Amino acid sequence: MAAGTPSVRLLNVSKTYNSHVVLTHTDLEVAPGEFVVIVGRSGSGKSTLLNLIGGLDFASSGEIWLLGQSLTELTEEQRATIRCRSLGFVFQFFNLIPTLTVSENIRLPLALNGVSKEEAKIRSGHLLHELGMADCSKRFPEELSGGEQQRIAIARAMAHKPAIVLADEPTGNLDLDTARDVIELLDRTCRAQGTTLIMATHSREVIGLADRVLTIRGSQLEETTQ
Amino acid sequence: MIGLLSTASGRFYLKHPWQLCLAVTGIALGVAVYVGVDLANDSARRAFELSENLVLGRVTHQLVGLDGSLPNSVYRDLRVEHGPVLAAPIVEGEVRLFDSPGRRFTLLGVDPLEEPGLRGFSGFVPGGGADLSRLIVEPGSVLVPEGLATELGLSTGADLELIVGANVATVRIVGTIREETLDPEGMNLPLVTDIASAQELLAIDGITRIDLVLTAAEVERLEALTIPGARLLPAASRNAGFSELARAFRTNLTALSLLALLVGVFLIYATMSFAIVQRREIFGVLRAVGVSRRQLLLSILIEAAVIGGAATVLGLALGHALASGLVDLMLSTIGDLYFTSTVTAAEPSALIYWKGLAIGVLTTLLAALAPALEAANTAPDAAMSRAALEQTARRVSRSGARLALPVIALGSLLFIVAPRSLFVGFAGLFLIIVAGALLIPAGTTLLLRFAEPAAERVFGIPGSLAVRGVSASLSRTGVATAALSVAVATVIGVGVMIGSFRVSLAQWLDATLIADVYLSVPDSTATQNGFTEARLTAIEALPEVAGISLSRFTTLPTVDGELNVRAIQPGPQGWGLTLLSESPDNALQRLSAAEGVMISEPYSYRRQLSVGDDLVLPAAEGDKAFLILGIYRDYISDGGSVLMPLDLYRREWNDPRVGGVGVYFHATTDRSSARTAIRALVREAPSIRFRSNDAIRERSMEVFDRTFKITEVLRVLAGIVAFLGLVSALLSIELERARETAILRALGLTPRQIGTLALTQTGLLGLAAGLLAIPLGVVMAALLVFIINQRSFGWSMGLTVEPAPLLLGIALALSAALLAGIYPAARAGRSSVATQLREE
Repeated sequence: MAAGTPSVRLLNVSKTYNSHVVLTHTDLEVAPGEFVVIVGRSGSGKSTLLNLIGGLDFASSGEIWLLGQSLTELTEEQRATIRCRSLGFVFQFFNLIPTLTVSENIRLPLALNGVSKEEAKIRSGHLLHELGMADCSKRFPEELSGGEQQRIAIARAMAHKPAIVLADEPTGNLDLDTARDVIELLDRTCRAQGTTLIMATHSREVIGLADRVLTIRGSQLEETTQ
Repeated sequence: MIGLLSTASGRFYLKHPWQLCLAVTGIALGVAVYVGVDLANDSARRAFELSENLVLGRVTHQLVGLDGSLPNSVYRDLRVEHGPVLAAPIVEGEVRLFDSPGRRFTLLGVDPLEEPGLRGFSGFVPGGGADLSRLIVEPGSVLVPEGLATELGLSTGADLELIVGANVATVRIVGTIREETLDPEGMNLPLVTDIASAQELLAIDGITRIDLVLTAAEVERLEALTIPGARLLPAASRNAGFSELARAFRTNLTALSLLALLVGVFLIYATMSFAIVQRREIFGVLRAVGVSRRQLLLSILIEAAVIGGAATVLGLALGHALASGLVDLMLSTIGDLYFTSTVTAAEPSALIYWKGLAIGVLTTLLAALAPALEAANTAPDAAMSRAALEQTARRVSRSGARLALPVIALGSLLFIVAPRSLFVGFAGLFLIIVAGALLIPAGTTLLLRFAEPAAERVFGIPGSLAVRGVSASLSRTGVATAALSVAVATVIGVGVMIGSFRVSLAQWLDATLIADVYLSVPDSTATQNGFTEARLTAIEALPEVAGISLSRFTTLPTVDGELNVRAIQPGPQGWGLTLLSESPDNALQRLSAAEGVMISEPYSYRRQLSVGDDLVLPAAEGDKAFLILGIYRDYISDGGSVLMPLDLYRREWNDPRVGGVGVYFHATTDRSSARTAIRALVREAPSIRFRSNDAIRERSMEVFDRTFKITEVLRVLAGIVAFLGLVSALLSIELERARETAILRALGLTPRQIGTLALTQTGLLGLAAGLLAIPLGVVMAALLVFIINQRSFGWSMGLTVEPAPLLLGIALALSAALLAGIYPAARAGRSSVATQLREE
């Protein structure tokens, strides 16, 4: 990626489900390492926007560039490759793989990126140590609390050092104290690695940490002055 | 409230139409196989009874000849010297239609003047131009069944060509017969002719038997008489052996259909329990908002009844269609095995449809009951937890495995406590199958635990993910794997059993068919059968011939049914017997010295006779005891046979006729020219049938294969039921994993990788089910070979486990599993990840 290339660029993007317009003529640029928060009412299209950026969904019209590459021109296999190498996802419902242990969940993106088993074990061990959850490595997700699961989800999203992390309501399922811890962890880790963080949230506390806040209102994306 | 719950259930299936479709298919197929076989079985049974009733009429007893025929004088003596009795002489034989040689009919030669008192032939002949007196005055005239005349477009006065033995004869139709009550279509009736015409057509001097209607006093009086060469038997005993065997044959088929139903039950259970466990969270919510256990249970059972009812109706229609194909197969098998000329299809009882309906609906309800009770009795919070569900599933699978041992013990105990009962044998077999099914979920988990390190080494974490995905979904995969394994084990077990039988039969034929050429006459009771002294001497004198054996195969009437007699004068290579047990002091030498007889294995088993026992046979001079010197293997006659030296037979039964000749060539002889030379010698005797050793072996194997065709059909059906059931269960499991798939795609797994993952998961499950089915299938085969076949037919055979049926089983399981993975794999590549995440 050339210097100065935005991590994410949307040009005149619209998304319609059947006849329901979710996003219209949306333009957006997010710089590398930037922390952008997207707010809006439930159903306003926050998740849709993240899905479009992550290549999980297709725009009805317009162009989306991710790390300088146009998603429109990519095949599904190529999109998957970009997700695997350059993106990390954090979901509201954690979405850990229930049949894998904590350590294996973190090692999964590393394995997909061809990192050796030994190296992956070391990196997942470090991450778990940083999270203060080293003793949980062999436990399964169902044995953890919600906050712990979300920490593991963040570790999984960051394990392969992606260029961009997309977080969809990561605190929506957590109590206030835990939510605060999770957001701080995400912010701290992304800033430490220079990772772009785009987060959809309702949490007002997050807004204070973000570099930029965008609001979706009436299917339009608007810049909000803090 | 129930209405609302039912609406919710309905909408669930509307949202998952494929699941509904597969559930209905699983139930319908299970019911169809059971009903189809039951209908065919009933049809065959009724057809047999019908033909027996039509021929027997009011007849209570029969006076039969010891060598298959009676002199004409016996009838005259009976009427003139032994007082007035209601009696009618009968000459009976088999004929085939010249234009349609596959269709066999009984030719019944009757005395038209005597018949009305016995069979009510006057009622038998309601018109249609029939006039019994014309049978007397017009030689070669017959009455044909009305249905046949209509079918062939023949009217009174037309000629009909028949194949009788090796000859073709033309008869004239002088009327038709019809039987309104027993056989309104008239397709099971015999061709009726005058006794003299029958004797001429069948080339018989005497009569086949005398049918009698006797009171108890008359029976006593006649039994006190000694009529040389004849024996008085109750009419029902004539076909006792056949009835018993046909019953064993039908029991076997019923058991196979029950096996198919058992597979169907597992599938019904798998589909219904899956549909229920899939909605545990919904049920948890419903319980949380105040729906009572009773209401929830009732709603689930109503749902099961509706699905089960609809699927069962479909299954009944399918079963009806299946039955028509099975009836033909079954009747041709009965025809091959037991020979009865008048059996054709009969309308089955309507009760079977009701039974099928009850079985389909009740099975579905029972299948739904366990998961429904579990869902209704679980606390609402636990009902919503998948972890709790999987924990329960693991607990149940462990308990199931522990329960398997006592079930096996009970099954084995049944084999021991009732060593001869076929019914109990099947009960034991079913228990062993159930025990196998109980072991399978735990076995799958164990197998996959061993497979996981290898999968992880090869595929990394995705490999491990695939393995764990299977074992972690035990609540979904456990029953499906058990169902598949039982079905595949059935396919393997029946396949191994047929293979074992085939190998044993081939070995037995090799040991038995020791002559190079066999000459025989179709009806050895005929006076002129072509085996003249001069012809036999000429055959023996041929330079190519090392020697000949002579045989006379006949039947003896006994109270236990007809007993086949094999009287043999062995050739240069001996008796050709495979002895299973024999007297210690050179049994074959003693047999040659006419010190006793040998009996076949089925006869020994059925009549519980052993070496050293006496066998009482109706000889010409009255009952006579013969020492049993040995028991030999005989796969041809499951009714039982007794073998004795020809000299002994001739001495005791005063029957000098020869029915068959075995010709042995010198080792260096050119077989082709030797056969030509023998053909030339018998050319002038058209009644003599020439068959080479190879031809008989080929024909025997052909009959064997045809006999087991119906078993093969059922095996294939069980395979199809298993196949669809597994596809249904695995497809449902994979579709349920849509969210997990979406997460993996979000993490960067390509559609191709997702597809591989889905196929690996289903493939692993299929492979596990296939591998676990092998020991269960082999155990089933062993039980079928050593217990069921022995109890059904009295045959023993070796167990030959060839790789083909085992590989077929694994291939079936794997292909079903992979097919089930294809749709989710393709779906993963097509749909948008965001949509999948949102839908879930």
